[in-house]
Amino acid sequence: MVMVEFEVPEVDYTKYSNRQLAIVPLTVLALALAVLIGSWALTGTPAALGIDFTGGSEMTVQTDMAAADIPGAFSTDPVSVQGTDRQNQYVVTFDSSNIDSLREQASDAGMSVLGSGSTPPSFGADSMRIAVIGIVIAFLGMSILAFALFRTFVPSVAIIISAFSDLMIPLAVLSLLGVKLSLGTVAGLLMLIGYSVDSDILLNNHILRRRGEFYESTYAAMQTGVTMTLTSIVAMAVMAIMATFFNIQIMAQIGLVLVLGLSVDLMNTYMLNLSLLRWYRFHGVNR
Amino acid sequence: MNVRENWRIVLLVVFVVGSGIALFAPVTGGADDGGLTNLQYGIQLDGGTSLQAPAVGITAEGVNVSADDQNALAQDVSDALSLDPIDVRVSAASETVEVFTRNVTQDQLRSALLEVGYQPDTVRDGVTAATRQQMVQVIRDKISQSALSGGSVSTIQSIEGPTFISITAPDRDQEELQALLDERGVVRVYAVHPDANGSWTYDQVLGQDDFQRISTAQQNSDGNSVVPVTVRDSVAERFQQDMVEYGFGQERECRVSRTDVTNVSDIDDYCLVATLNDNIVFAGGVQRNLASSFASGSFANDPGYQMITGNMSEANELEISLRAGRLPAPLDFENARSQSLEPSMGEQFRTDSLITGILAVFAVSGMIYFRYRDARVALPMIVTAMSEVFILLGFVALVQYPLNLSHIAGFIAVIGTGADDLIIIADEILQREEITTDRVFQNRFRKAFWVIGAAAATTIIAMAPLTVLSLGDLSGFAIITIVGVLIGVLVTRPAYGDLLRRLVLDA
Repeated sequence: MVMVEFEVPEVDYTKYSNRQLAIVPLTVLALALAVLIGSWALTGTPAALGIDFTGGSEMTVQTDMAAADIPGAFSTDPVSVQGTDRQNQYVVTFDSSNIDSLREQASDAGMSVLGSGSTPPSFGADSMRIAVIGIVIAFLGMSILAFALFRTFVPSVAIIISAFSDLMIPLAVLSLLGVKLSLGTVAGLLMLIGYSVDSDILLNNHILRRRGEFYESTYAAMQTGVTMTLTSIVAMAVMAIMATFFNIQIMAQIGLVLVLGLSVDLMNTYMLNLSLLRWYRFHGVNR
Repeated sequence: MNVRENWRIVLLVVFVVGSGIALFAPVTGGADDGGLTNLQYGIQLDGGTSLQAPAVGITAEGVNVSADDQNALAQDVSDALSLDPIDVRVSAASETVEVFTRNVTQDQLRSALLEVGYQPDTVRDGVTAATRQQMVQVIRDKISQSALSGGSVSTIQSIEGPTFISITAPDRDQEELQALLDERGVVRVYAVHPDANGSWTYDQVLGQDDFQRISTAQQNSDGNSVVPVTVRDSVAERFQQDMVEYGFGQERECRVSRTDVTNVSDIDDYCLVATLNDNIVFAGGVQRNLASSFASGSFANDPGYQMITGNMSEANELEISLRAGRLPAPLDFENARSQSLEPSMGEQFRTDSLITGILAVFAVSGMIYFRYRDARVALPMIVTAMSEVFILLGFVALVQYPLNLSHIAGFIAVIGTGADDLIIIADEILQREEITTDRVFQNRFRKAFWVIGAAAATTIIAMAPLTVLSLGDLSGFAIITIVGVLIGVLVTRPAYGDLLRRLVLDA
């Protein structure tokens, strides 16, 4: 049996300057923002929107038909036809939100409709607005709380920049992969706001609120923080993989966003946040 | 074991036992559907249909109409716009005029009102809150009469758009739900009178389609709560003759309370009886002025009368009954958000999401074990994390919250945060030098708890907007996560600290 070794590596931070540490996550953040803005300029949205936001329908059908023959059964061309883990079961997506007629057409073609969902465009646009408001409120709330917890400018701002980056980079990755945003993505992003700052709080707490030498505190915080973030990533990766396999979209979407966000958070916490804290500890305080 | 010292562990055990009871104890009259647990499943895990649709209609507000002119105005508006009178509703109390059709524009309604001398303040899309409330009530009646369990009807406010009516029907597919919403009951009006031999008999005098209008329940000038109805011109003459023939050409008092009788045949007095699906919904006599209008033949010129009830809520109920399940305004299915799932798919998702959850627990447990390689630390951690999920399940069963897929994601998120916090506690307490005294332990525990509390607070703040914003069924995901975090911070994680202390100090 292979024994899995699990040791959090001790990075020798003294070898790197603050600038060297910060430049990596900041460059990635800048690239992510460039992707999002570029996509915005080209397509009108930072990332592709799914039917939760654009409106449309989705139907799960059971049929002996070949996947290629399914579009022929409908008067409006499906956007996509996807097989699932069950035999002869397909998820068919449409731009149209006239689900009554689509269900009828499917039944007429001899498919049995196992499930369907539809969102009218007006409803989708409203959901988009609510989602943006929700994320902004959550982010502001988290920011205020960060200030309330540490009551100093640099460490609080470090948490906020880290969290911002934790949101933007996964969004940019989704945008590049062409993954369509959905309500599940929004839930994942909100969860990420709450989840990703945990390791930052832990690090700030160890460095600012404890006695002890800087690097010693950092390593102690990393030991705990990396373990817990990896544990969360594993939990979310299992959810994302299994839910994708089972075609449970909302769980797959939440899982994917969190896996991406928490992975990015490892970089942001232990490079960006850490460099800001080190600068604050050794230079900022004296000013 | 010293209870005072280990009260946190005791508390955890109490919660776990309580959750076990909430989950598995048989409930009487509850939603026990024969399943192993008392958990309620939403449509994503059990099949069914949910629908969020706005009402079709246009509303003119600030129409200064008196109670006496309501019916005349409704008639004028329906004539001017060539609408079925049942699709026009005038309310003096809220100063509104509503039309329930797609075929009329705001401008058309405005000019129709101006033509008859009323100046509306605003004309907007949508219907009034009162109409919506009545729709909710009508739909709720329909759903509860037929559904197995777990159906619900409510309104959802969108930011700028219309207010939606949200319907969840667990045991029907899309077509069945729409058929149910369209379903009409049968209304009949009978006259109870003595036959040639002097024994009481009854004859139908009006049927479902003989009403031209059923007006809004209201208070009339005598202060009575009434539902005014108008009989169609085509049947008014015949109705009037029948009434005279059956002896209602003079004042008749109906000395029968409708709560005492269930059948029309049981009534032994001069009464006009209205039934919905053969259930009596109204029984009353005929007042002098109505009786004399029957006798003189003037009733047919203005064929309306009022059904007088005891109070306003009875009047509202009667109005709904007389409409016989017809929604006051139709639902706009074209602009509806809907979701429908066959029970077989629900079952499939239930199994699949359970497998996913269990695998996530295994994965987290594996990570914890490989990290600590000490069963004394890892095992209590895993047990605590599991009990957290168990307590959360107990809570969900207790409040009978219908579980959907996003909630399962919430559970897995709780497993993740729970493990995170237990790792923080373990690392803090087991760090560097050995713990020698209880005081050192308490000190370290408090330090760990500051971080956990702060982390919990950020999660709660981040998820809080979702609990109030109507974004699909994500509010459930947010609520599950928040409750899970609270259970963790207040119950299970402190208990883990105590468990760890016993292990560490004993060693």
